[in-house]
Amino acid sequence: MTDKSVVISGMGAISAAGATVRGTLESFAAGTVNAGKLSLFESPLECPVFEASSLHPPRSEISSNSAPQDGDRTLRLAMAAVGEALRDAGLDSDRDGLRIGVCLGTTVACQLNDMAFYRAYREKGDAPMGAVDRYLKNNLADAVARAVGADGPSATVVNACSSGTDAVGAALSWLRAGMCDIAIAGGADELNRIPLCGFTALSVVSPNVCTPFDRDRQGLNLGEGAGIVVLETQKSAANRGVGSPLRVTGYGSACDAYHLTAPRPDGSGLEAALRAALAEAGVSPADVGFVNAHGTATRDNDKVEGAVLARVFGDDLAFLSTKGFTGHTLGAAGGLETIFAGTALREGWIPASPGFANKDDEIPIAPVTERTGIDTRCAVSTSLAFGGNNSALVIERVGQ
Amino acid sequence: MSAQESNISQHSTPCINGIGIVFGQGRGIARLERALIRGWVPPELLDLSFFRATGFPIYQVPAEALNDKTFSRKIRRADRLSKMAVIAAADAMADSGIDLPDTARVGIIFATAFGPHATTFKFLDDIIDYGDKSVSPTSFSHSVHNAAASYVASVLDIRGPNLTVTHFHFAFQEAVRLAGTWLNEEKCDHVLVGTADECGTAMEFIASRKLHVALDGKMYPFQLRRMPSSVPGEGSVFFVLSAEPAGNSYCALEVDGSAPADIQVINADGMLPDESAYLNALLPHVPVSAYTPLSGSFMTASSFDCAASALMIRNRVTYPPPVTDNPHDLPLCGDSTPAPSRVACVKCGCGGKVMVMNLSG
Repeated sequence: MTDKSVVISGMGAISAAGATVRGTLESFAAGTVNAGKLSLFESPLECPVFEASSLHPPRSEISSNSAPQDGDRTLRLAMAAVGEALRDAGLDSDRDGLRIGVCLGTTVACQLNDMAFYRAYREKGDAPMGAVDRYLKNNLADAVARAVGADGPSATVVNACSSGTDAVGAALSWLRAGMCDIAIAGGADELNRIPLCGFTALSVVSPNVCTPFDRDRQGLNLGEGAGIVVLETQKSAANRGVGSPLRVTGYGSACDAYHLTAPRPDGSGLEAALRAALAEAGVSPADVGFVNAHGTATRDNDKVEGAVLARVFGDDLAFLSTKGFTGHTLGAAGGLETIFAGTALREGWIPASPGFANKDDEIPIAPVTERTGIDTRCAVSTSLAFGGNNSALVIERVGQ
Repeated sequence: MSAQESNISQHSTPCINGIGIVFGQGRGIARLERALIRGWVPPELLDLSFFRATGFPIYQVPAEALNDKTFSRKIRRADRLSKMAVIAAADAMADSGIDLPDTARVGIIFATAFGPHATTFKFLDDIIDYGDKSVSPTSFSHSVHNAAASYVASVLDIRGPNLTVTHFHFAFQEAVRLAGTWLNEEKCDHVLVGTADECGTAMEFIASRKLHVALDGKMYPFQLRRMPSSVPGEGSVFFVLSAEPAGNSYCALEVDGSAPADIQVINADGMLPDESAYLNALLPHVPVSAYTPLSGSFMTASSFDCAASALMIRNRVTYPPPVTDNPHDLPLCGDSTPAPSRVACVKCGCGGKVMVMNLSG
């Protein structure tokens, strides 16, 4: 571990797998898969989805004078996880004088895609501005920064499905550069009609519950959620007496420069991202105890990712995809999976990779099929995205 | 306290080594230079049913500025926003003259406020017209905010980190800050940092309802009052940032630097409900300029200020502001203002937030 590592001092997670980090781990332990029928909006598309049904008001999850009152669903998901993460970090009330940045990934929340607004504009040549006003108020990072009173750097990362991972990576750079002492990082996305229609049009949505890395996988299921980590410089954590053993020690990112939606077949972009993250962390592939893979269950993603993981880490790698618990939560995925990797290091086990049954001959390795004890200090989380983005984070546990 | 003790990395200031631009007056840094010398020109006037006055003023990127035979095959499916970004980014690389033996050492950070909203609305058209099961996959894949950066990467074969950020006021500033950290961490040798925003038909409607669109087609950036006038615009600017001067170096660029400036460039363009905040943000007695009447109003237009400022420093000239109404008696730049070696680009956002980009050379 290098002295450039930053402390994960708090975590918050909400998804179909649970309303909190603890609740999510209980689902993982029990192997509970909360996929179901779409209920959040009407659509003729029939496919399982992973809704965060535990998201309820109250909307003010943390102490603040400016918590969002009319936030959209993505912002409410984010605030639920931010609230848990800040409580976990001991920052739920007294944040005065702290230099806090906010770096969050999303996909849906960045788009002005309100159907009622657009339909009215199209049909009448006029439309009320309420949806536009709400959109302008709810830039995700900006809205969270306002709600928690953070006045450090603020950026909403919109890198499609790697947004959450890249947001954590950007926050890592901020902290190392001294731009802030603490960063709220991760991602959030709601289940929304636009990506449901879009991914279906791309023929990558499974009609059944997704089965990442399985020979017979049929595609992804969409999910929703938020995964938020509180990152902190070692100095700030020491000053505040934070005892968390978890660190983010490396981030790597590389672009395929190949295709808007398909990964480069040789996986060289993902491999470059992985090797950059390992190098930054100062660890070798042999130091990595497991990988929380992107594993969307699409034919292309899993084939390329599986081949690269085998090439970099060898055939004995323990790995899993948690998409079978959460669905593909798009901009939230990287944040959630950073947390899942971190909690696995802390708890000493990873769950069975849900949905996997049969090894694919085109993928040289297979994910874990049962709850597996791990005795390691180092894990990797990967993300692949539209646009050919590939990103990886190295997460470590100190004291071992 | 030493930098090490305070956990602050020692860092150098990134250099602008190349600029590419496409905007309402055409394509290329030479076109911007000509526009800065020529001064204000009236915008195009569109006949739009929802705009009751005569002619909706707009600085639109001309179609011919987006026609490029070099890339035509690679961007044939790209939407307008992506085309703008590709052309500006490619021109920035060409302007830099930097040879790139290893494109894995080049990063991209793309900043946009509204992203490819016209494509998003086109996708909504599909849903409304054909239903959820019959939408275009191409429209969907191009509706994500990072499609433009993906096109830039694939056209230029740039394989380093690639990030898109969005913010309504400070997307460009945050992108530059992050690029500085990438260079200092030696993640990259060069970072292509750029902006693009478009003004599609639905956005024209939104602008007509949310902004005080100037009926005379003219913005008055020194009025600095409530309900300022605006003229919607669009465009893209890319910069090649490097840790050291290289190629066609313009100047150094830093966000929130502390060096005093010779000229202050404000981004007053009618996008804030009240622009009087600029009056508090400006240093007294330092000459002031504004070039927003050339670019038009859009959220990432502060990148144009940055390009204009870089040109002033490199060319050792002062470009006077194209519109000079000055009710606050600000010390406006004029023909007698000495050429600057340090320029502060000042941007105010909502909630009183101000960010300053310092250019020096």
